[in-house]
Amino acid sequence: MSTSFNEQEIKTKLRAWVAAKSKHPEAAQLTDETPILERRILSSLQVMDLILHLEQLRGTPLQPDELQPGTFSSVNRIYEYFFQGK
Amino acid sequence: MSSQSKPLIGEASLTLAGKLSGISVANRGNPYAAMESWPQQLEPTEAWHTSLPLISLAGTPDFDSLSEADRKRMSFYEAVNFYSLNIHGERSLMESIAHRLYRKWPAPVSDYLHHFLAEENNHMTLFGSFCLRYAGKIYPDRHMNFPRTYAPGEEDFLFFAHTLIFEEIVDYYNYVNANDATLHPVSREINRLHRFDEARHLAFGRKIAADLFQAYSPSWSPETLSALREHLANFILVTLREYVNPDIYRDLGLADPYAVAERAWQSPSGLERRQKATSKLRHFLISNGILLEEPPL
Repeated sequence: MSTSFNEQEIKTKLRAWVAAKSKHPEAAQLTDETPILERRILSSLQVMDLILHLEQLRGTPLQPDELQPGTFSSVNRIYEYFFQGK
Repeated sequence: MSSQSKPLIGEASLTLAGKLSGISVANRGNPYAAMESWPQQLEPTEAWHTSLPLISLAGTPDFDSLSEADRKRMSFYEAVNFYSLNIHGERSLMESIAHRLYRKWPAPVSDYLHHFLAEENNHMTLFGSFCLRYAGKIYPDRHMNFPRTYAPGEEDFLFFAHTLIFEEIVDYYNYVNANDATLHPVSREINRLHRFDEARHLAFGRKIAADLFQAYSPSWSPETLSALREHLANFILVTLREYVNPDIYRDLGLADPYAVAERAWQSPSGLERRQKATSKLRHFLISNGILLEEPPL
């Protein structure tokens, strides 16, 4: 992991990215626990774009076996899985 | 539902499926024979593997700053990306075709789906062999599929519409590459062989997608239709975006490959490439009422 951002910076960037990409009314009020996929705030196609954004924040490419639907459920879950390896 | 009173697949489509099956039988390809003349190794800096106008950075300052050898090396990694996209796209397509064999389709459609499946398998052999033999890898797939519910007939229509979008864009790249005499013979031949089969897949896909849309869409709610149109417009964008892959720029050793990808995507030359690559596709989708307006590119 070669990211130069701390936890709060990463979560802030993720929320801002979702707010900018999604037309869903809840996107602007997103919290770290909001269920992003369950509430269809992001579509499966937008998740592909999110993957590129995550790679850029993390500084390393994601591996195909890291890509599981459950790992995109919320900002907190994305942070835990892709940045803390949990 | 309108499909109960009228056949899902029109007579013209069944006739076409039968004719295409005949052509496939008469022209059965053998990827292993095609690979017999391939060299054991390729030096990426010595030849072009992607036609210059198709290279994702062509027309940008990033490309202008590369040496001739690095431009050729980039054309090689662009080919690896193009073939990797085809491998991932065709694997997913093959899974979906296999799932649909002998379901509700009339016999000529099932017959042709067998050829479709066999030909996609042959293409994957060519693409996979090139990538592994000469690059030692296939670029990873970033596609994610999430379970969702569909209106009646929507899933089948979307399968053929996705296939068509993917293959129309691939066809443009195949056409330009296959007609570029400056390309390495192996790369030119892969594109030529692929296009030969895909022309039939496209003819079939256009008819079936149009038939399914006509049969099912009258039963869909305005909300379903609107969401479907937005989805297809986004699918076109996502498909095009995969041609601007940071993995290529990383392999070239360019600093901040994600920023390079973003510059390539935002460049006027990138937009022009997307417009050319989707020209036939956009015409088909709009003239059949599947999209009501030009999708953003």
